[in-house]
Amino acid sequence: MASSMRAHTFSLLSKCLTVLVVFAIFGSAWWLHPSRSVPGFAMALPSEKGTAVDVQAPFYRSRFASSDLDEFVHASSVTSLPSGALMSVWFAGSREGAADVQIRASRYDAIAGEWGPELILATRESTSTAIQRHIRKLGNPVIALAPDDRLWLFYVSVSIGGWAGSAINAMYSDDFGENWSPPKQLVTTPFLNISTLVRNAPVFHRDGTIGLPVYHEFLGKFAEYLYISPDGEVLDKSRISKGKHSLQPTVVPTSEYGALALLRYAGETHHKVLASRTEDAGQSWSEPYPIEPANPNSSLAAIATPNDGLLVALNDLEDGRFRLRLMGSDEGLSFWKPVIDLDESPDPLGNPFSREVYSDIIGDKFQSSSGPRRIGLLSDFLANLDQRVCSMHGCDFEYEYPYFIKSSDGLYHLVYSWNNTFIKHVSFNDSWLEAQL
Amino acid sequence: MIADLWQAQLTFGLFVFLLTPGFGLSPGLQRVRLLVFLAIGYIPIAGLSLADYMRSFTGDLAITSLVALAYWTAVRTGFAPRQPRAKTLQIVAVMACLALFLYPATMGLSYLDPYRLGYQPRPLILFVGLLTLALLALQNRLGACMLALATLAFSVGLKSATNYWDYLIDPFIALYSCFALIGYAISRLWRNGSAKRRDALSSQPG
Repeated sequence: MASSMRAHTFSLLSKCLTVLVVFAIFGSAWWLHPSRSVPGFAMALPSEKGTAVDVQAPFYRSRFASSDLDEFVHASSVTSLPSGALMSVWFAGSREGAADVQIRASRYDAIAGEWGPELILATRESTSTAIQRHIRKLGNPVIALAPDDRLWLFYVSVSIGGWAGSAINAMYSDDFGENWSPPKQLVTTPFLNISTLVRNAPVFHRDGTIGLPVYHEFLGKFAEYLYISPDGEVLDKSRISKGKHSLQPTVVPTSEYGALALLRYAGETHHKVLASRTEDAGQSWSEPYPIEPANPNSSLAAIATPNDGLLVALNDLEDGRFRLRLMGSDEGLSFWKPVIDLDESPDPLGNPFSREVYSDIIGDKFQSSSGPRRIGLLSDFLANLDQRVCSMHGCDFEYEYPYFIKSSDGLYHLVYSWNNTFIKHVSFNDSWLEAQL
Repeated sequence: MIADLWQAQLTFGLFVFLLTPGFGLSPGLQRVRLLVFLAIGYIPIAGLSLADYMRSFTGDLAITSLVALAYWTAVRTGFAPRQPRAKTLQIVAVMACLALFLYPATMGLSYLDPYRLGYQPRPLILFVGLLTLALLALQNRLGACMLALATLAFSVGLKSATNYWDYLIDPFIALYSCFALIGYAISRLWRNGSAKRRDALSSQPG
């Protein structure tokens, strides 16, 4: 009888203890993970908007940021550094998706007005060693200087399959790109952490949180907005679009809590750029809707202008990427005006040219694009018109994947793929822009 | 990061141990076999260990999966008794429900993204806490242990993931649970059908 009582008491105590342990575990988890409020966007200060450069004469210049003649180069991005310097990154290799693709970079010297030699920031091997996973290929690097002067590099890597199997890696530099941390893979999806890609410029929130526009390509094609802490931890994310028809969002803050996202359209219906808005600093987004400019399923980039307007670089075409155009719009996206055709094929339909004709045309375009430091590469470039531009049916012009920033000295900087052989950098100021509009 | 690598080795060892046949070995020899597989995971090939290669394709398993693998390993090595089928069914039902709630919507089917609940996890912590208490009330210690240890690991940040869901569920335990539940439902239907046929035959006049 007594032993039965003891067993019963022991059983009761054991159950009480178990329940207490469960309460302790879940209570501490609750206490350690409080709800997080989202601060507004870090908007450019008025003093940063209007600087000495703005009141200067109209300024528009271009030059190549890359210098390697042999590699397929693509998906460039650029960030401003102190003293007017810039750093641009892109991927380079024998072809897109090849195992030899590297993440390359170059620095822009503001005094010389030219880009320096190419640097290698990440390779398949360096990424694999750092994150202890097999890596098949790399792509889409995005570089950005955070308000705390930490320079971030995000890029995608694939362990299995195609781009749909991508994950985002992040590395940072606290000395403006001289030395870099090892890359760390961000966990952003519950399905084997695959299918999150980055392409467009991040924005920053007032507390230093990084707002990174990303997109998915596995099963669906849709866009999301990642909140990443200043230390590189994924804090939250929100969905910009759903379904199978939109990707590569470019986000432009328009007020403390308002922002506009323009998206690449990947469907077969209207071939128009899609737009979505947030009024709560990216926590929720309106359903994307088609706007006036056409989009041939190609990447685009947008930036705010001082008069509360929008400047967008895009292939304003229904098919092909043979013309890259700069367009201006009001904040309501109801009025659009072409500013300049940054680069275009002489053929209005983008039809291919014979190698001889093409060689003459692209030689002229090279000279007007390269800048003085790269002009000496012209003859080698013309002697090496390979599969990047020419195929069985002829030679094509392709200008794509623009990336836009405005530096603190008031200059606009745009980088894009120039026939997948060079990364072209275009810079201009507000005076030039006002003259065009 | 170090925890991730340790987890990769453990996952490899347990996975291979459970997927390969036991050859009728005694529990003692099964333990030796387990140690051998844990050691094989460290073999380096082209700079990465075998466990790292597996992790490249499987990602990091959820803590619930690791606890389940550890439990089945303990059963095979004689450290734990096999639990009744009804209790296993309770666990797979819980995991299948979580999977069906999470995965379809997180693939972009809707604007609602349940994965986001794992970043602002208080409601999910409350829900999983209640599930754990319910499993305890059903005397399902393994199920309660899986959810409680996943939550504890989330609190101490044992994985590189910052989302609560990544500790609770992964595609492997999700698929296993869904198929196990479907298998159980089919076998129940088949048994019910067989019983009815038997009843019908026995009620016919001889």
